[in-house]
Amino acid sequence: MLAANPGSRPLAGGQSLLNVLKHRAAEVEAVIDISRLEELRGIEGDGSGGIEIGAACSYDQIAGSGAVAAAHPKVAEVADGLVDQQVRCRGTIGGNACFNDPGSNYPPLLVAMEATMRVTGPGGDRKVAAGDFFQDTYRVDLGPGELLRSIVLAPAGDATVGYSSLQMASDSWAVARAVARIRCNGTIAEPRVVIGCVSGAQPRAAAVEQAVDGAEPSAEAITAAAARVDEGIEPGGDAHASGAYRRKMATVMVERALTEATERARGDDG
Amino acid sequence: MADVESTHSIEFELNGEPKATVVPGRELLVHFIRDDLGLKGTHIGCDTGNCGACTVRVDGQLVKSCMMLAAQLDGCSVETIEAGPAAELREAFNAEHAVQCGYCTPGMLASAAFLLERNPDPSSDEIRRALKGNICRCTGYENIVRAVERVAAGGPNSGDMGPKSAHRPVEAS
Repeated sequence: MLAANPGSRPLAGGQSLLNVLKHRAAEVEAVIDISRLEELRGIEGDGSGGIEIGAACSYDQIAGSGAVAAAHPKVAEVADGLVDQQVRCRGTIGGNACFNDPGSNYPPLLVAMEATMRVTGPGGDRKVAAGDFFQDTYRVDLGPGELLRSIVLAPAGDATVGYSSLQMASDSWAVARAVARIRCNGTIAEPRVVIGCVSGAQPRAAAVEQAVDGAEPSAEAITAAAARVDEGIEPGGDAHASGAYRRKMATVMVERALTEATERARGDDG
Repeated sequence: MADVESTHSIEFELNGEPKATVVPGRELLVHFIRDDLGLKGTHIGCDTGNCGACTVRVDGQLVKSCMMLAAQLDGCSVETIEAGPAAELREAFNAEHAVQCGYCTPGMLASAAFLLERNPDPSSDEIRRALKGNICRCTGYENIVRAVERVAAGGPNSGDMGPKSAHRPVEAS
């Protein structure tokens, strides 16, 4: 149906798209309700720590899933903290990913976790790395008639994730966010540090990654690495915060995310 | 398809009663409930999914009805405030004066009932978190939280509908 109706948009939880439509912010020829497609609503573990989350799974479903909590606790924690109970009942992880506002919660997490996005469409199924899926603000790698089917997360193994956001009020959009995924066996390895709230490209902080790769998981090393977040990343200013403030806060968010990831690696999160 | 005003036949359950009708594709659930079904207990506060005054239950889930299309109700059951909140919750809101202007109350009751079904003995923090999606512009939150605490199983004096709040210090929020 999506392919047969150019200009149509899929509607899942509607917690973003309906406001877009109300504000006439997008021209949509037809809205196609996918919210009850059972194929998009499952959460399946592969038995070895990997997990596949259907695109139309609600935040509430993810937050309450023992399988997600066991395999990738941060994915469940983020769902549990999202907005409010009503939005958690309706909003979906796939909608959050495909909307791809710079401030959306899941895109930077999925990039840091190196998720695989399973896309289906008239040309068949294909898989896209999360790092390539998020192209720019409100733009993702979905062609005409294509739909995000599910999000696949490989077994975490010994990887841990830290996630830090700055919100001015408990209900407001974050102005700065960072997600860090590391492995840590004495020293930090394979770091993936993604800066949220900057652009829909969900950029990785290459200079920070380089600086922490192989470093001791010490406060000093983390602080020094986090200070390099502005190498290559230029947050823009808007009514909520100036670019300079966002840059400064991105440094703090990176520091906190890396600290959380190293603490989790030590088992400090309980 | 651009200029076509689509309509959709929907079958659904309204407060336990089966219903069937036709709705315009662009109609929001909250307008359908208020204007077509004539149930004015579901309020419109913001129309943008922020205030929670239009909160109803759809298939048991907690939903802001301004953030769902009426056409999406097909095959679902919807429960509005007219179905009547649990007497215990209603009495607690009354006893704790958890109502000032009353505009947010239907949504508050829906969210409170949803919480208590999942968690019969919530802490004060859990109650605040559960009511986060409901805004009271009279800022009567303290009394609302206290009313939900009053119903919570195992809480102090639970089941006792006496004036317990009169003897309790007001907590900072």
